[in-house]
Amino acid sequence: MSKLVLKFENTVLKEVAVGAKEVSIGRSPDNGIVIDNPAVSHYHARVFNEEGRLMLEDFGSLNGTFVNGQRVRMVSLRPGDSVAIGKHTIVVTDSVEVHAHTLDNVQSKPAAPRINETVILETRDRREFLQKVAAVGESAQVAPARLKVPTLVVLKGSTDQTEYSLSNKLTVVGKSAMATVKLKGWFKPKAAAQINRREDQSYYIGAADRVPTVNGTPIAQPTKLKSGDIIEVAGVQLEFVIRD
Amino acid sequence: MTMDFGARTDTGRVRETNEDSLRYAPETNLFILSDGMGGQASGEVASRLATDATLAHCLEAESNSALPLVGEPIEGVSEASNRLASAIRLANRVVYTASQQNSEQQGMGATVVAVWIKNDRMSVAHVGDSRVYRLRGGALEQLTSDHSFVAEQVRRGLMTEGEAAQSKLQNVLMRALGIDPEVEPDVTEELVMEGDTILLCSDGLTRELSDQQIAGVLTSIDDPEEAADRLIELANQAGGGDNISAIVVRHADRAVGAFGRIGRWFKDSR
Repeated sequence: MSKLVLKFENTVLKEVAVGAKEVSIGRSPDNGIVIDNPAVSHYHARVFNEEGRLMLEDFGSLNGTFVNGQRVRMVSLRPGDSVAIGKHTIVVTDSVEVHAHTLDNVQSKPAAPRINETVILETRDRREFLQKVAAVGESAQVAPARLKVPTLVVLKGSTDQTEYSLSNKLTVVGKSAMATVKLKGWFKPKAAAQINRREDQSYYIGAADRVPTVNGTPIAQPTKLKSGDIIEVAGVQLEFVIRD
Repeated sequence: MTMDFGARTDTGRVRETNEDSLRYAPETNLFILSDGMGGQASGEVASRLATDATLAHCLEAESNSALPLVGEPIEGVSEASNRLASAIRLANRVVYTASQQNSEQQGMGATVVAVWIKNDRMSVAHVGDSRVYRLRGGALEQLTSDHSFVAEQVRRGLMTEGEAAQSKLQNVLMRALGIDPEVEPDVTEELVMEGDTILLCSDGLTRELSDQQIAGVLTSIDDPEEAADRLIELANQAGGGDNISAIVVRHADRAVGAFGRIGRWFKDSR
């Protein structure tokens, strides 16, 4: 009778004999071999006996099943074959063989080549994960229902407007043609500073030709802005305001 | 704006094939990098389809401004940024369709990261864990955030960066091209300044080298081709566990300027 030895990085986790009944492999707890890893599908593959041959079938899993490094759909297995699923390996052994000897063989074999391959979380798992983390209470910050567009109010200095709505992902403060906050005056830099809206919808100010200060402190790296922050750069003073 | 660049890709020391793919159109300052994944040769197919489709769509738009956008336009970004996002959505469909039609390519996918510089403005779009960095005044900043399982947990405060660096799940992506019929790229815009250096790279580089090592190479080597070569050499020395790719893009008139010099001196002296 054949046996399946589940291993993770040379540690044997489980041994399962394959008799008349098939052995299913997957992440759900009702499988014969459970592999709890996001790269593994809930019902990933199965191993069964058919006319005296040991067969492996992949259930169309997203990240695949690999036998001796080759992605497979349905193959017959032989003792010594190495089945890679995610980062786990299932080694096929013939239980008639001397057990220790078999394991030695197995351990000296090179790891399946695809074991560190990048894999993708299945759509369903991705949704589950995002729902789970949303339940932790982070959702309001991560995905605001609607973005409130902040305003830059000019408190001091010479600019072409008295306030600016930060509706763009990139706002440049300077003299250049692409600047939103246009500085007037002879010695003003083309681009004094920049404000970026990031994917989480928060706004960050960063240095360009000048290092701006936020509430009097020069910024060492891009700095997240909050309503009421006072920015000073290249002779202008601006207030970052989020209005309700 | 004229940019110099150096683009290099290498199989590394462990893998047998190179599944990374690079494409660029220096005449319009467009640079694209993709890291493919999937069994047999399908990772190579996925990354090539992704970079080809992204490049073709952008170049077509250059000669035909009426070319429709794929997907909904993003508000508050330039035309080039919207075109880049459109190109990546198209690339996703191309990879997805190929993987559905060919059983050997089932489940293949790819990351993509693209940079398009127009005048002083740079559009950055990406899906997956390939990255864009910017070196400005000696400081290296990552402009993209990985669409990976661990990075997502760090962003949500469920894991520290230290835990993420140790995690066995670093190779699990949340977003990639070719997996779902639709994908939404992240798009950011940046100002390009004299003296800036931009780096596009695959995770084969960033898993082997620290930010300090990358910054060291980009600061000390002026020629972008030499810098790209050196990055790959160092990543191989560190193990070369995956395919390694780097595109180094640098302002052609790299006059550092008085402010840059002072900034650099100030940084070194601390």
